[in-house]
Amino acid sequence: MSEELQLKIEEFLLKNGSKGKVSELVPLTGGASAETWSFTFSSKNKSERMILRRGSGKKSPLAVLKSEEAVIQQKVKSSGAPVPTIVAISSGDKDLGDAYLMGLIPGESIARKILRDKKFSAARQKLAFQCGEALAKIHSVNLNDFDQVPKKPIREELKRLYLTYKSFEQPLPVFEYAFKWLDKQDFTTRKDALVHGDFRLGNLMIDESGLAAVIDWEMVSIGNPMLDIGWMCINSWRFGQSEKVVGGFGDLEEFLQGYSSISKEIIDPEEVKIWQVLGTLRWGVICLIQVYSHLNGDVNSLEKAAIGRRVSETEIDLVDLLFLGGK
Amino acid sequence: MIFDRPTSAELVEAVSEFLEKEIKTTLPNHLAFKTQIAINVLNIVKREQENKELLTKESKEILLTLLSNQEEANINQLAEQIASGKLDLEDKKLQKALIEITKKKISVDNPKYSTYKKLIK
Repeated sequence: MSEELQLKIEEFLLKNGSKGKVSELVPLTGGASAETWSFTFSSKNKSERMILRRGSGKKSPLAVLKSEEAVIQQKVKSSGAPVPTIVAISSGDKDLGDAYLMGLIPGESIARKILRDKKFSAARQKLAFQCGEALAKIHSVNLNDFDQVPKKPIREELKRLYLTYKSFEQPLPVFEYAFKWLDKQDFTTRKDALVHGDFRLGNLMIDESGLAAVIDWEMVSIGNPMLDIGWMCINSWRFGQSEKVVGGFGDLEEFLQGYSSISKEIIDPEEVKIWQVLGTLRWGVICLIQVYSHLNGDVNSLEKAAIGRRVSETEIDLVDLLFLGGK
Repeated sequence: MIFDRPTSAELVEAVSEFLEKEIKTTLPNHLAFKTQIAINVLNIVKREQENKELLTKESKEILLTLLSNQEEANINQLAEQIASGKLDLEDKKLQKALIEITKKKISVDNPKYSTYKKLIK
């Protein structure tokens, strides 16, 4: 399998003007919907580490195609936000299918290591501010350049989440409450922006000086930029370090300061809270989608079965945020 | 009950400990990780077996403070009455009920979860 893939990558790079050899091709653990490989590409005068991201080629309501993901990252790069350098893009059935190659960004993406390893202690100090800056840059791009990105107005997105939740016929009073509560909130205070959609540890490459790159753009959309802010601040993405509101490593104040240093937008923590409720609920519905893909027999797996009992984690976070002064 | 000891909870516990002590340590990382998930799942089953009667009874009592009809005092009805607006979001009794029932669920699903630990302190 990997030998065949090695040849395919060499052929594809040759077609894109780079003649050389692929070696050390290894699969990396990644998302369920895509494969990720790392390899070394050696040409006449240099040798570099690269990443292959490859999707199934099927259109999914949750994720954009890999080829689209690559184009979006290329365009975002001009905003100054740290994103990987795209080397080549493959689409359709030819070449590598729906896939792209990018330069490997040295660093760590595993949340627990970033939060606990000593070598990241200086990075952790700056990371909340840097994440705020990066998000503000992403949110600043000119939307005219992003026609192909799906538009997801937040009211429609909430409706879609509600229908998804309802389709599983597993009534959850806390979810009903949160949906109803969100219906009453005002979402009109922000202009549409490019939204990463899954901005959190796991999708950020971190090196010893902090944020090196924002990766995994498959949930990108055009919508309310507060979605990214709230998502980064939910307890589900603090990996047990719940006293640090931003990703388990930083304070909300630094994160928002980083954001406004670029965007000049002032964000009230009370507004963030609304989006923490929304983000927690969104993660809860994603957990339901995963467990029902197991229960309905599409993808049988222990991990997917187990995630069903993590829905109550989102429920306890919701009641904490809504009634008990949770942050 | 016609079954002898070990109880189902005790059986599940024995398997969980076997995986933890004798299997997990012999496996490469990615399989040790999956085995830990299996252990977590077995521990959920054990806690549910041991506590479900009490937790169900206590939840019923909470539900009866909101839904007076004995037969209709269940989770489905609670969800429905929130959705239909019959129960007011500002209702403190409703909020308290959601807090208490959720605590019972997570006490089985993951008693080590940060928010749960904070709330029972």
